[in-house]
Amino acid sequence: MSDLTLRNVIKSYGSTKVIHGVDLQVRDGEFVVFVGPSGCGKSTLLRMIAGLESITGGEVAIGGEIVNDISPADRGIAMVFQSYALYPHKDVYGNMAFALRHAGVDKAEIDARVQRAADILGLRDLLHRRPKELSGGQRQRVAIGRAIVRDPKIFLFDEPLSNLDAALRVQMRVEILRLHQRLKTTMIYVTHDQVEAMTLADRIVVLHGGRIAQVGTPLELYHHPDSIFVAGFIGSPKMNFLEAALTGWSQEGAHVQVPSLGEIVVPVSRQGGSERETGARLGIRPEHVQLADPATAAMRGEVLVVERLGGETYLHLDVGAADPFVVKTDGAVSARSGEHVGLAFPPHALHLFSASGAAFPHRERHRTLAEPQGA
Amino acid sequence: MNTPVRTARARTSRLRRISGTASVHAVLLGYTLIAVFPVFLVMMNSFKDRRGIFGEPLSLPHAGTFSLEGYATVLSEGSFATYFGNSLIVTVASLFLILFLGAAAAHALAEYRFRFNALLKIYMIVGIMVPIRLGTVAILKLMVDLNLVNTLLALILVYTAQGLPVAVFILTEFMRTLSRDIKDCARIDGLSEYRIFLEVVLPLIRPVLATVAVFSMIPIWNDLWFPLILASSDATKTVTLGVQQFIGQFTVNWGAVLAALSIAILPVLGLYALFSRQLIAGITSGAVKG
Ligand SMILES: Nc1ncnc2c1ncn2[C@@H]1O[C@H](COP(=O)(O)OP(=O)(O)OP(=O)(O)O)[C@@H](O)[C@H]1O
Ligand SMILES: [Mg+2]
Repeated sequence: MSDLTLRNVIKSYGSTKVIHGVDLQVRDGEFVVFVGPSGCGKSTLLRMIAGLESITGGEVAIGGEIVNDISPADRGIAMVFQSYALYPHKDVYGNMAFALRHAGVDKAEIDARVQRAADILGLRDLLHRRPKELSGGQRQRVAIGRAIVRDPKIFLFDEPLSNLDAALRVQMRVEILRLHQRLKTTMIYVTHDQVEAMTLADRIVVLHGGRIAQVGTPLELYHHPDSIFVAGFIGSPKMNFLEAALTGWSQEGAHVQVPSLGEIVVPVSRQGGSERETGARLGIRPEHVQLADPATAAMRGEVLVVERLGGETYLHLDVGAADPFVVKTDGAVSARSGEHVGLAFPPHALHLFSASGAAFPHRERHRTLAEPQGA
Repeated sequence: MNTPVRTARARTSRLRRISGTASVHAVLLGYTLIAVFPVFLVMMNSFKDRRGIFGEPLSLPHAGTFSLEGYATVLSEGSFATYFGNSLIVTVASLFLILFLGAAAAHALAEYRFRFNALLKIYMIVGIMVPIRLGTVAILKLMVDLNLVNTLLALILVYTAQGLPVAVFILTEFMRTLSRDIKDCARIDGLSEYRIFLEVVLPLIRPVLATVAVFSMIPIWNDLWFPLILASSDATKTVTLGVQQFIGQFTVNWGAVLAALSIAILPVLGLYALFSRQLIAGITSGAVKG
């Protein structure tokens, strides 16, 4: 069994607390991704799981065994670092074999394991090169190979792809995914790239200021963010937010008044929201907005910038709000800056957040939302 | 494409580049001449007889002035081999201690957070700023008490103390720039803290160790002060002290002095060649990103 449990895990450096009581349960074989803005404590949490950082409070358990006081080498984990961290004076083979040699594994067994890892990662021809004779992608592969060879209970990755260029990053992302399918080992992966998080994770853990903001499958987080922070963090381009005033509740949901939009009904339930609450924020993802005839549309905006990516086009609009309102449209859209366009959005794609930033839950779960929006 | 204007411009830019390179080389050559000239003078004159040395000090030895009498005196002087051996033992042993202890201390200062870390670092800097010779009297007293006067160990200890502060200072600064990940990786691989130092950190800092070795070595080899005070017995004399026997109160055997100095240069050159290979090796590249 190689599940991982964090119980009220706390980390302080002197008097500054950087992890404020994290609870998390990772199942055997699960691929969990930690995301969050820079400095939110992702690496710190991962390093605490690895045993490289002492645990100020709480418990970390691997496979049911509390490992707080167990050394990194005996926790049954392997870690892949952003900087690769290869031993420069050893060749690829030596790098991969090092831990095993040190653990006193016999030669034939080491050789078998290294060859197997080299096969999985396509490193066969590079086994006798030094790290400085390898490209970035090859180095990262060696670092992953070094982890595979140890046959760990849990793989830990700390932003392993962020030193690679964009094309290589996509390629390695797929390789890591295939590696997980093949090994079926528990993996914890830290990134601040939310595309990596969405594509790799079975479940995503969004961290914010040393606390877990939300845990869920990628689509849960996408469709049902718990808070305005998660809503803004997951999804690219970012969700649009509009100031709104809550005017009342009815059978259909919340009635809100939005300056550029008039009064609309958002199909959410009141759960948690207070009776007197009036301030709110309306959220809508760029890909859920549709262009409409300006004469009859619910909302209008002036095009500020047109970003053409080929297959799709992002329009940045001035709708009278503080921030530009972004709309994702078809690649062939003819809009030009200065033009006025009309906007429409299906009510169930709207998100409503209270003034404190908590989301009002949707009345229907995302089954309806997951269907193609034609965006 | 290749208009006359363009070729002309290309030519002037090439000229400018050549003249730039030439001036850089001129400066370097000039410096080399100034630095090497005294050494050359010593070596050249060591092959002349007494008359040659005083009569034509700046000319190369020729049939009239050539003589190996200086070398003959030095080599026939039986104890000179001992002096030489003493110098080598003292230099190599001190260097080893400076490098090993310095690297170990630097590793601890750079890697671990502990209470007196900052204080220790300041202590080291004070050690750089205060010349060790100010403590000569106290050192002599200490060595007398420890019964170490007229032993090579006394010199080794003093030179180690003299070399350590700078070594620790430089190595600490360098070790701070080492990737933390690679040490963490070794921790996950199951290495003890000692083996991380020996097997991961030391190989990474080889070029810097060589640098520190080169400039710690010269003052030790050349020192006259401490051998004179702490180890002037015939069995423990170093080369620099041994040379003094040719410098009498009334007459100086210049041939022998110059010959002894010429021979004394050789081991230092050898050690330098050994370390400079390391300097160039630049082994760190490729360890981490880049
Ligand atoms: N040794 C330390 N002493 C004091 N504070 C630290 C130390 N290491 C990290 N921190 C603080 O802990 C917080 C979390 O750092 P951490 O490295 O885990 O962030 P991160 O989420 O990995 O960020 P990034 O995406 O930039 O890597 C930061 O605010 C950082 O300043
Ligand atoms: Mg980090």
